[in-house]
Amino acid sequence: MSLTNDLNSAVKEGNIDESANLVEKILAQGTSASEVLDVLTGAIREVGDAFERFDIFLPEMMMAADAMIEVMKVLDPALKEEGKGTIESSAKILMASVKGDIHEIGKNIVITMLTANGYAIFDMGADVDSLEIVKIAEREKANVIGLSALMTTTMPGQKEVIDILNDMGLRDRFKVIIGGSPTSQEWAREIGADGWAKDASEAVKVVEKLIRES
Amino acid sequence: MGTPPYRIWEILNRSEAGKFMEEKEFVRKRLIPELRRVVKKYNIKYDPAYPVNVDDSVADSVWNAAVEAFLSIGVYNKSNHRVIEFTEEDIKEAFLSLPGEYMFGAGKDARPFIARKVEDPRPPFMLFSPDITYDERDHFMVCVAFLKEPLLDGLCAPILEHFFGTKINSHSPSELGGSLMHAMNLLEAARLVGRPGIHLVAVGTAEADSSQIHVSSNEYGIRTTDSRLVASTTELETNNELLNKGLHYHQFGCYSGNLAGAIYGGYAGGAEGTAVLQTAYHIMGNLLYSSHYEQNFPFHLKYGSNTGRELLWVVSVYCQAIARNTKMPQTSNGFANAGPGTEMLYYETAAHSIASTVSGANLWEMAPARNKYPNRGTPLECKLAAEVGYGTVLSSLTRRDANSIVDKLLKQYEKDIPEAPIGKTFREMYEVEKAVPKKEALEQYKDVVKELKDLGVPFPY
Repeated sequence: MSLTNDLNSAVKEGNIDESANLVEKILAQGTSASEVLDVLTGAIREVGDAFERFDIFLPEMMMAADAMIEVMKVLDPALKEEGKGTIESSAKILMASVKGDIHEIGKNIVITMLTANGYAIFDMGADVDSLEIVKIAEREKANVIGLSALMTTTMPGQKEVIDILNDMGLRDRFKVIIGGSPTSQEWAREIGADGWAKDASEAVKVVEKLIRES
Repeated sequence: MGTPPYRIWEILNRSEAGKFMEEKEFVRKRLIPELRRVVKKYNIKYDPAYPVNVDDSVADSVWNAAVEAFLSIGVYNKSNHRVIEFTEEDIKEAFLSLPGEYMFGAGKDARPFIARKVEDPRPPFMLFSPDITYDERDHFMVCVAFLKEPLLDGLCAPILEHFFGTKINSHSPSELGGSLMHAMNLLEAARLVGRPGIHLVAVGTAEADSSQIHVSSNEYGIRTTDSRLVASTTELETNNELLNKGLHYHQFGCYSGNLAGAIYGGYAGGAEGTAVLQTAYHIMGNLLYSSHYEQNFPFHLKYGSNTGRELLWVVSVYCQAIARNTKMPQTSNGFANAGPGTEMLYYETAAHSIASTVSGANLWEMAPARNKYPNRGTPLECKLAAEVGYGTVLSSLTRRDANSIVDKLLKQYEKDIPEAPIGKTFREMYEVEKAVPKKEALEQYKDVVKELKDLGVPFPY
């Protein structure tokens, strides 16, 4: 088995040390960083697909994402030397469960998937004040704001963030994506969100689309 | 008779003085590895051939694994990042103090609520619950429609979507007002149908502790003969607002249930870990909130339902683990994939009712359409669950019989779970002004009952 195959397996198994060692070995052999990145991206896509099919569960996906994060720390300098970057690495996503909503697992799964796909994430946690979301998004220079709501009674919190962005004249600065069990495309349209995703894997696609459009 | 609150102030003090830990560490270094460890240690294995578990040793292993996992994980308080820890002595003492039965409701409408046993000949308590929001214009008549059902022993009421035309916003005056409207609608509906003392579980419209406290009243709100729910957050986590609710319910003097839904595919992993975690929630509810009962709704991460094969196994196993090892009354809350007016919903409901009843649970049925779409819930699916529950005990169904029937039912609908139909709204199914089902809805019900009987589903008549 080649080292790249080994790396693919190590990332999928969430073996952080093995993954990092393999990246160093592969780079030392003269393989370009962007080729290594392709291997990693392929592995994490396979993990996402396996989770989508429920061949694996959240803990396995979290372990693979952790391995990906650590490996990227090893790979990043080499990527910069090659003058390579990805759209994802230049984009920052701010994530929060909105005011009054204490549920986080849906948001956390989205974060895991986005992180695994190379996005920088700023996680504000749950039950976050709407104005605070806007202020932190500004401070962190986020490209996208992701808002989760699991209750019908907390869905208005998603609207409130967008209303504040409008009132502060900041709406054009950020793309806003919403999600959560009771939300829908219709609700996203009604409140003026830029995107809605029914699950985590779709959230990655929607974020990618929004960033390419911005 | 109520459960004495378990050393309430000592436990609450632990929530302030427990070990400091970041949530990420709690999840990654305690929750996930400990659940994995006990599943392996006790050799717990899901067998798809048995959506209804028939093996006592599996149920007992799940109980033992849950005790061990709970003691090593504890409960995380998100408000102060402290871990609340418990001892084996706590568990033994708290479970010994449970009376095992309560009288829910008041006067002529009071009903016994008991800790049932596996294959118990006593019928389950039939708690009807659509678990979904309704338009303000229909909320009162939906309450009436549910309360008119003769087999209902208690009602967890429909939830309000709007208050005086405004979409209810959590922790705002609209929630406070909507919570009171919710309670008033319920009480008025109960009196109008001649069941003023019926046991109510309310109010689901209230997310905030202040809203729950606002509706506590024996005069105009939720009474001491009713019950309230206190939840946890995913997984084995709480916060001060939830602790406030739990404390308030005891000091007000009403019954309370711990609302817990372990997520299949989430931090617990597969069916085995989910069963252990759901069992552990009973221990958490008893020790942390001193809950009188456990309100269980384990669900599938992707579908939000618990009528698939893996989840029915989870339901049957944790129900049996608790029924065999404790005197804690439990309810089994069904979450179906399909919506009202579909045959699939009735099939899912029958499967969930049989698996739960034969395994020792009381029934809390039925949330249709993945608990996602407003107005999509009717009393008809709850009536079917109750009839099947009665049928299960009156026909002395064993777990082996139940497994065979549930397996047949699953084969009828499990392939359709990913694309389940959302069905119809209450208005499409009912004559709202009369709060009765439309003729075509009743005819469909009768046809489906006949089909279910042909598959061996037991009915009382």
